[in-house]
Amino acid sequence: MTIFSTNNISKTYANHKALDQVSINVEKGSVFGLLGPNGAGKTTLIRIINQITAPDEGEIYFMGEKLRSEHVHHIGYLPEERGLYKKMKVGEQAIYLAELKGIKKADAKKRLEYWFNKFDIYSWWNRKVEELSKGMQQKVQFITTILHEPELLIFDEPFSGFDPINANLLKEEILELKNNGATIIFSTHNMESVEAICDSIALINKSKKILDGRVDEIKQRFKKNEFEIILSKENNISDYIFDGVELIKKNTDLNFQVSTLKIEKGRNADLLSKILQKTDIISYKEILPTMNEIFIDTVSNE
Amino acid sequence: MSKTGIIIRREYFIRVKKKSFLVMTFLGPILIASLWIIPFFLALNSDNQSKVLVVDETIMEKDGVKSSLYFNKFKNDKELIFEYGYDIKEAQDKLNKGDYDAVLEIVSTNDMPPIKGFLFYSENEPSLTAQEAIQSQLSNILKDHVLKYDYGMNEKDLEWFNNPKIGFYSKDIRSGKDSYKEIKTFLAIIAGICIYMFIFMFGAQVMKSVSEEKTSRIVEVLVSSIKPVQLLMGKIVAVGLVGLTQLVLWLVLSVVLIGGLRTVSPQTFSEPQKENITINERVISVDKVGDMTSDSSQVNQVVQGLFSIDYTLVILMFVFYFITGYLLYAALFGAVGALIDVDTDAQQFTLPITIPLIIAMVCFPIVINSPSGGVAFWLSMIPLTSPMVMMMRIPFGVPIWEIATSMGLIILFIIFCMWFAAKIYRTGILMYGKNITYKEIWKWFKYNN
Repeated sequence: MTIFSTNNISKTYANHKALDQVSINVEKGSVFGLLGPNGAGKTTLIRIINQITAPDEGEIYFMGEKLRSEHVHHIGYLPEERGLYKKMKVGEQAIYLAELKGIKKADAKKRLEYWFNKFDIYSWWNRKVEELSKGMQQKVQFITTILHEPELLIFDEPFSGFDPINANLLKEEILELKNNGATIIFSTHNMESVEAICDSIALINKSKKILDGRVDEIKQRFKKNEFEIILSKENNISDYIFDGVELIKKNTDLNFQVSTLKIEKGRNADLLSKILQKTDIISYKEILPTMNEIFIDTVSNE
Repeated sequence: MSKTGIIIRREYFIRVKKKSFLVMTFLGPILIASLWIIPFFLALNSDNQSKVLVVDETIMEKDGVKSSLYFNKFKNDKELIFEYGYDIKEAQDKLNKGDYDAVLEIVSTNDMPPIKGFLFYSENEPSLTAQEAIQSQLSNILKDHVLKYDYGMNEKDLEWFNNPKIGFYSKDIRSGKDSYKEIKTFLAIIAGICIYMFIFMFGAQVMKSVSEEKTSRIVEVLVSSIKPVQLLMGKIVAVGLVGLTQLVLWLVLSVVLIGGLRTVSPQTFSEPQKENITINERVISVDKVGDMTSDSSQVNQVVQGLFSIDYTLVILMFVFYFITGYLLYAALFGAVGALIDVDTDAQQFTLPITIPLIIAMVCFPIVINSPSGGVAFWLSMIPLTSPMVMMMRIPFGVPIWEIATSMGLIILFIIFCMWFAAKIYRTGILMYGKNITYKEIWKWFKYNN
C-alpha cells in the first residue's frame, strides 16, 4: 500500500529548476532511500514533503489524501542541518517542539521521560542545550523528531555527526520504528547504509528522477552477469574458458584461485559442468553491483 | 492552544523571565529620570561662566575719570563676566595663561560712534551663544547711546523702552485655559522619544531572535510544524507584548513615585495662585506674578501643565502609534533578521530601515518648533516616520482629518510590510551560507512558496 506519493512535481526557483517532473511512490512500512549528488534537488523535495515550500505543479498524496497542512502532525522531520535553541533547557525545549506537533503538554512529558530514559540522557532534562555534547544534542533532536509517533519519518543524512556506537544505536531505532509500522524516507550519501536499511530508492540527478525501484530489483537490473568462482589452487580457470565466457580478473592466493568471469546468458550450466567434470568448485556466486556502483554509473552516464 | 499561541507563549515568557527584563524594569525609569534630572542640576550649579576681558582703545580720560562708549557698560550674567583692561599685549598674555576665556578688543576707528573694529580672541572656540550674547550687548549699548544722546531719552524711559512689560498670555482656543507650550513640548519630546526607543529596542529583538533561529538551524524544524508566517507573527506579537508589559510596569512605578513625591512635597502639586486682570472690561485669569523664576514654581508649572493636557486623546494616540509603529518596524526588522547569516552582513540590510527612524529624530526640533509646518505635516503622514512625528505634534493639537489620514496610511502600510516581510522571511530563513544581495531578494518576489 502506498502511503506517500508525488505525481510529476516541479519546482522552479528564480533562475533554476530544482525539480523537474518528479514522481515517487513510498510503500507503507518501508524504508525509502532518497539518493542523489549534492544540489540534485533532494532538499527541495524533502521541503515539499514537509510543506515548508510548495511545488509549482504536480500533486502530492499522503495517506490516501491530497497533502494538506494538518498532515504535519503525522510527519516527523530530522533535517541535515540540525539545531536547537542553545539557551533553552533540554526538557522544556522538547516539550515545546512536541506541542508544535500537536501533542498535549502532559502527554509530551510522559513520552519524553520514556525516551530520555531509553537514550540514557534523563539527567540532562534541566540542562541548557549549549552544555550538551554534539552527540547528545543529536539524540535530543532525534527524540523530538519521533515523539509524536508520526506515520512518515524523514531523515536527512541522519548518521552524520554520530560516532559509530551512536550511529548503530540510531540505525537500530530506525529499523525498530519500521517494524512498528512507520514509513521512513531516508536521504543520504552513505551507500552502505542504503544497502543496510533501504527497501527501495529513488535516485535524483540534476532535478530529474533517473532511477527508482526496490533495491533488490534494481540490483538485478544492473547486474552484469559477472560471477565469482573459487577453485583449488592447482587448477587454472583459463583451461575451462570457452567462447561466451570472459575472464575479467584472476587472483591466486595461498590456497585458492579466485576468478571473476563474465558469462553470457544461458552459458552458466555449460561452464559449471565443464569444470565439474575435472575438479570441484569450492564456491560459485553471482556478483551483484553495489548501490555505490549503481549510483556512480547512473549519475556519470547522465 | 493554537500554534501561534504556543509560539507567543514561549517567546513571551522566555523574555519576561530573563534577569535583564527585571533589571530594565526597575532601572529604566531611573535611567530616563536621570537623563532629565542630571542636565537640570548641571545647569543649576554650573560654574562655567566665561570671563571676558574687554580692552577698549577708545577710552578717554578726563578729569581722572575714564570713560568711553563701552567702558563699564557690559552687563554680567549667568554665562559671561566682563572685566576691563587697557593693554592688548598684556591681555593676550593673560588669555594664554588662562586667566580669561576671551578677549574683546575694541579698536579705535574714525567712526563716531565707534561701530566697527571689534576683535574677539579666545583660546577655545567660543560658544555660539556667548558670541551672540556679546554682539547683542554691543548693539544694545550702541542703541542706548543713540537714544540717550541723539534723541534725548532719559534713563527711566530707556529702561521701559528696553524692557516693556507685555501682558502675553498663551491660551488654549478650546478650553480657554493656559496653553503651557513648554509642557506640551516636553510631552511631545517624551512621547516621540519613547516610541523611537521602543521601536529600536524591541524591533532589534525581533531581528536578533529571527536570525538566531536561522543560524542555529532550528527554524527548519519549526517550519515543518508551523507556517513561517505564524512563526514570524507569533514572535512579533510576543515581543510587542513584552514591550507593553515593560511600559505598564514603568507607568505603575512612575505613579508610585509621583504618589510618593506628593506626600513628601505637597506644595509642588498645589494649584498656582490666580489673579484676575481686567482688559477692556474682560476679566482674564492668569497666574499670579510672583517669583516665577524660582525653581519650585517652575516645577509647579510643569506639574500644572501636565494636568492641563487632553490626555484621552494623547493616550489613545500614543497607544495607537506605539503599537502600529512597533508592528511596522518589527515586520521589517524580522525580514532583515531572515537575511542575516552568522552576523556578517547585517549592516547593509539594517541601514535602510534605521534611516527613517533617525530622520524622524533629527527632524524633531523642526517639528517641535513648528508643529503644523510642512516638515511636520509630511513626516507625520509618511508611515515610516509618522509614529514618532505625529506623537510629537499631538500635544499641540492636530486637525482630525490629518490624524485620520495618518492612521489610515500607517495601517495600509503595515499590511503591505507584513506581506513583504513574510515573503522575504520564508525564503530567507532557509538560505544558508549564501551572501544574499538585494538583486536576489527582488527575485524572490517572482516565485511563489
